[in-house]
Amino acid sequence: MIRLLKCELIKMRRRYVFLSLLAVTAAGLVFSLYGDYSGPGSGFTIKNGWLLFLYQLPLVNGIFFPIAAAVTASRLADAEHKGSAFKQLFAAEKRGRIYDAKLITGLVTMLLSVLIYWVVILVFGIAVGFEGEPPMGLYLRYLACIAAPTAVIYFFQHGLSMLFKNQAASFFAGVIGTFAGVFSMFLPQFPALRNSLPWGLYGAMQFIGLFGWTQETRYEFAYFEMMHTEPAAYAAAAVYAAVFYALGKYMFCRKEI
Amino acid sequence: MKETVKTHSLTKEYGAIECVSRLDMEVHEGRIYGFLGPNGAGKSTTLKMLLGLARPTHGEIEIFGKRLTNRNRLGILRNIGSLIESPSYYGHLTARENLKIYQTILGLPEKNIDKALQIVRLDRQQGKKTSAYSLGMKQRLGLASALLSFPKLLILDEPTNGLDPAGIQEMRELIRSLPEQYGMTVIVSSHLLSEIDQMAEDIGIIANGRMMYQGPLNMLHETDRSKTLEEIFLSLTGKDVSL
Repeated sequence: MIRLLKCELIKMRRRYVFLSLLAVTAAGLVFSLYGDYSGPGSGFTIKNGWLLFLYQLPLVNGIFFPIAAAVTASRLADAEHKGSAFKQLFAAEKRGRIYDAKLITGLVTMLLSVLIYWVVILVFGIAVGFEGEPPMGLYLRYLACIAAPTAVIYFFQHGLSMLFKNQAASFFAGVIGTFAGVFSMFLPQFPALRNSLPWGLYGAMQFIGLFGWTQETRYEFAYFEMMHTEPAAYAAAAVYAAVFYALGKYMFCRKEI
Repeated sequence: MKETVKTHSLTKEYGAIECVSRLDMEVHEGRIYGFLGPNGAGKSTTLKMLLGLARPTHGEIEIFGKRLTNRNRLGILRNIGSLIESPSYYGHLTARENLKIYQTILGLPEKNIDKALQIVRLDRQQGKKTSAYSLGMKQRLGLASALLSFPKLLILDEPTNGLDPAGIQEMRELIRSLPEQYGMTVIVSSHLLSEIDQMAEDIGIIANGRMMYQGPLNMLHETDRSKTLEEIFLSLTGKDVSL
């Protein structure tokens, strides 16, 4: 496997895979961090910034990380499809290992971008002067709650990108899924809907809620509180990951050239 | 003479279409086997089955005296170099980097890259991105990756595709020299009769997925002295063929 991973690193040369991923992550960060942090109305944000981020960001994550996953999986698999490289690889190595090596490469790259995103969020909060120390326990949980759905979606995108030569198919599936996932987050009264979509898991795993906000009083009496997260969301993530991995690998191993 | 490749009743069906039908192929060690047939005759499908890229619907394949199964496939394939249809390459990498990938996977010495590049005469252009290569250069790169492990068996599917006349001549000479220089057995497919006539010692003629003739090329010449080789080929395949 080490040999195959080395080869994946060689294949990434001049593909700018990480750079394109960073570009999507940077766009996500701009979208996440844009706000009023110093104006007259910024008191609530500065006071509750750490929890406000944990409340607001899952929605943004549900848009940008699935897109980033689709882009990364597509960039990595496209190099093989374009040069008809699979037939040569299949004659040299077990198909399952080829599938796994590329999956590990993509997944590590994706999770690295999640980590960068998370670190930038923390550094930004400190830089703008959010009150108090960052609640690291909650932020570590948040990190796990964006890494897990991102990994699940990457399993899905990886399978599609490896199976289909035309990368538009996997990208289109990713975009449709992203829209459906974001839509499910606007329907909190239907938790099952979020759990039933891998892209909805960002919302399903959200654990900070905003309470006391009304249109009249706005943030005057608003406060953040821990929410109960359905265990079904974690179970769904594990099941999706296992199914996407097993199905993708099985179909890839049976693929004829 | 020892058989390097032997197939028994090899069949490949895609739905109701039988692409390869009960094919019995015999390739002898150290020989150049020309696999000739019109376009769509089933040459590439047969070669893909030999490499495990397509699963036979029925039949058996024996390579180096061992029955090819899912379990031993990779072990057998380590001794086979192949170039099927179009060459495999990563356009964003240089020729050397391309070969480095297969050298790393197969755990071969680095010097094999230099040697393979030298054989196909790409050593001077090894630092160039392969996306900038001409089709002929890509074809040579494909051959270099097939030769990288200096395998016992080399399977080349239409290796002269896209080459200019000088390149075709060069490729022919190279293929002809492989059994003597490196002890390789070579299977080379083509739809061009003249191509096979100048390279092969043994020949298999396939049409509509069926083996129409198999044996030494000189025997085919002697089957009917009143006919040219082209006429014999046409009578066997019933199809037109580029000469």
